[in-house]
Amino acid sequence: MSINEQNAALSAALKGRARAKVLGLTFDDVMRYFFGGNATVAVIVLVLILVFLGKEGAGFFGQNQVNLSVYRKAGLEYVDLMRMPMEEFTGLTRGLNDVRLNRFKVLLASGKDAEQANAALEEFDAFADQLGAVAGDARGLMSDLTEVVSAVKTRVQIAADKDLERDMLRHAGREAEAKALKSEEVDFQKEIAAIKSAAGAWKPASEAMGAGLRAATAAARSAAWAKGDKLLEKLLLKAEKFAVDLPEVEVRMAAWRWDEPVPYSRSVAAFLYGREWITASFWQDWYGMLPLLSGSLLVAIIAMVVAVPLAISCAIYVSEIATPGEKAVIKPYIEFVSAIPSVVLGFFGIAVLGTVIRSLSQVEFLHWIPGFPMSERLNALTAGLLLAVTSIPTIFSLAEDALANVPRHFKEASYALGATRFQTLVRVLIPASLSGIISAILLGFGRVIGETMVVLLCAGNRIAIPDFTQGVSAFFQPVHTMTGIIAQEMGEVAQGSIHYRALFMVGIILFFASLIINYIAQKVVRKYRISIG
Amino acid sequence: MATQDVSNMEVPPPHPFMRPATAAMRSERRAFNVFRMATYSVLLAATAIFGVIFVKGADTIFTREFPFVNIAFLIESPETLHVFDHEGQHHEIGDREFRKYMEAHANPTIAEETYVYSAGGIFPCIVGTFFLVVGSMAIALFVGISAAVFLNEYSRGGRMVELLQLAILNLAGVPSIVFGLFGFGLFVLFAPIFASAPDPSHLYIPLGFGYLNFTGWGVSLISGWFTLAFMVLPVVITASEESLKAVPKGFREGSLALGATQWEAIRTNVLPYALPGILTSSILGIARVAGETAPIMFTAAYVVRDRLPWQVDHVLDVLFQGVMALPYHIYVVSSKIPQNAYTERVQFGTAFVFLGLVLGIALSSVILRNRLRARYRW
Repeated sequence: MSINEQNAALSAALKGRARAKVLGLTFDDVMRYFFGGNATVAVIVLVLILVFLGKEGAGFFGQNQVNLSVYRKAGLEYVDLMRMPMEEFTGLTRGLNDVRLNRFKVLLASGKDAEQANAALEEFDAFADQLGAVAGDARGLMSDLTEVVSAVKTRVQIAADKDLERDMLRHAGREAEAKALKSEEVDFQKEIAAIKSAAGAWKPASEAMGAGLRAATAAARSAAWAKGDKLLEKLLLKAEKFAVDLPEVEVRMAAWRWDEPVPYSRSVAAFLYGREWITASFWQDWYGMLPLLSGSLLVAIIAMVVAVPLAISCAIYVSEIATPGEKAVIKPYIEFVSAIPSVVLGFFGIAVLGTVIRSLSQVEFLHWIPGFPMSERLNALTAGLLLAVTSIPTIFSLAEDALANVPRHFKEASYALGATRFQTLVRVLIPASLSGIISAILLGFGRVIGETMVVLLCAGNRIAIPDFTQGVSAFFQPVHTMTGIIAQEMGEVAQGSIHYRALFMVGIILFFASLIINYIAQKVVRKYRISIG
Repeated sequence: MATQDVSNMEVPPPHPFMRPATAAMRSERRAFNVFRMATYSVLLAATAIFGVIFVKGADTIFTREFPFVNIAFLIESPETLHVFDHEGQHHEIGDREFRKYMEAHANPTIAEETYVYSAGGIFPCIVGTFFLVVGSMAIALFVGISAAVFLNEYSRGGRMVELLQLAILNLAGVPSIVFGLFGFGLFVLFAPIFASAPDPSHLYIPLGFGYLNFTGWGVSLISGWFTLAFMVLPVVITASEESLKAVPKGFREGSLALGATQWEAIRTNVLPYALPGILTSSILGIARVAGETAPIMFTAAYVVRDRLPWQVDHVLDVLFQGVMALPYHIYVVSSKIPQNAYTERVQFGTAFVFLGLVLGIALSSVILRNRLRARYRW
């Protein structure tokens, strides 16, 4: 026997058996690869999430580009140029109503009855009527043109629908039917020329409007009844500025070109920075992220403001102050809170919390709080408070871990120097575990941003950027969120439509936001950990 | 525990030689009271939520007479509630009874109010949730335990393992609604189905003996299973890894020294000791799977379905049918029907059952974990 043979025999004897091989793999290798394959599932799923969100959302920017270019070509953009000053003007007349209401209240307070007050406001009403009438021609023109361009847009849409149908017929192999299906080529140049010539009436109308405004405001300024009213003064200033700015609209209308191409970047920007999310509208659909993003952030900020101090206090209390008995109760109890399903919390918000908060806000002696009494039962505050409940367990358990991981001799050294427990806590324990605490807060924030059911049920679902000009009461406004909009609208949209793809784009943004938050949390833990031990 | 001896020193009883409280001690006491109040306010808020739902839900679930539990609510399907006054009597009855009543009284014209889903019970939702949980946990446990075995037993560190760990960590942070979208895109719309004829409007792969049509599984149990399983995967992997780590190294080494292969060592000397721990820790995963609404909204849940999951024409249809689920039902009854005395019954009742179920699962996880810790000590 050669040495090699001897070794082989020896090793076979030691191992107890010869190993069967299939495709050069022993059974052990097979098991190893099997387990390894399962371990890669996590990576595969992450990639698949990206692929399938991307697959469904990818066409969005292209479709939005078409959407925006139809908006331009069919002349909707042109009419919107006129609509802007008209809406501003509507704002002015609304301001006028406020002024009247204010004056009316003052008159009532001075001891007059309603009839006398109305009589005293006669001159004011005449002024209001005069002001309201100046927009007549321009408004009429705008609404006429609105109908014209809407009709053009409808024709474009019908043509696009027919194209789609033809493609589907082709795909199904029904070539003859596909050929028979004719779609109209809309001649934009002709349509726009007609619209522009009709819009020639805008110049005289707007000039008349400006002149009328100037006359009305000048008369009001010199009139005796208008003296000393600060609100009216503000309004008059606004009206004068409006009259000065009005000719600019003509300049913009003259500079407008229907055939100016809409670049792809515009489509992306309209999504990322768009201030409006309007769908299924008869005029123009907008898919802008900002109202959803700001709603999500507002709710998350409220939640974090409530949750962070409470959760960190809990963590400090449990790990440093509580007696072992308390600890044995509090820790599992908070774990229990984390098990509450979010839809139950949402239901609690609708059925109980919203009503409680609103009736609390209607209590007379709490009216000094800005924003009270609140008008809506379901708003950012309701959702934020409940989200705080969902994020407290997350932040608590991670922060508690971080505190517990501080080595014991840090603490002992501090005590040995004569520090009290509180001093040790503030000067030693918290700094030593700060990176863990911060990453706990970040992960809690991630959880809040991604939470769906609570915001869907409790945030009020009004798609608008919170109005921070009104100060704190912005926190009591209903908002809509990124997660909420997906959950709400996904069930109702047609597959493959631009709206459908827009929802997937929102999903992609959520996905990346969660990755980024996770990444920062891990970086914080690694980079700022005080070397322990 | 030894580590607490320093931090939890009891305040000694007052005596004449006691040092007067310094400013530092006073501020310490104040600060600790603030922490204590914050902690107890959190506990109080949580108790308030539990309390309201349990007290109000108990009205629906429990009755004053024998058998003290409202069994009808648990074993019936949801129905529309009809509320009306007829012949001087006030009636609040479900759809089936209402039809009988109308027949018996020769279809009188009455002014009635109707509330959908407010009568009957929630049996189909309980069943649906059970089906969803069992299937998705089976998938998640299989994949998750295998992955953990690889990470803890086979892998020797390096780039690959780092990547895997990073992926698991990130997967845990992905919002549940994104999982819902993903499940919708992949399983509902794209997943392959075996068929005898190709479907030209979708991608298909000829197999020789048939075709794989990528038509998607539709809104179905199986779509929900996979979506939920992938969502809960990080929880299961982390739990499994911890339990595997808790098995002492000597167990493996002893077995290897006796000539066992690595798989034999794992099968005989690691998994049997780790498995109880894995399963109990994974119960928390069950609570998560049962509690999530967003991932099943577009993948598995129906608002209403007359048939129960086992009432199907073909065995395979069990997989390819949508189900009603408790969390989705709560969403529907709390957002789609008005809030009043008639609808409150089903709303709070469903919330009670659901919360009780999920908390029961979580509680059993905590209890089992404590027992296991007491049993295995090495």
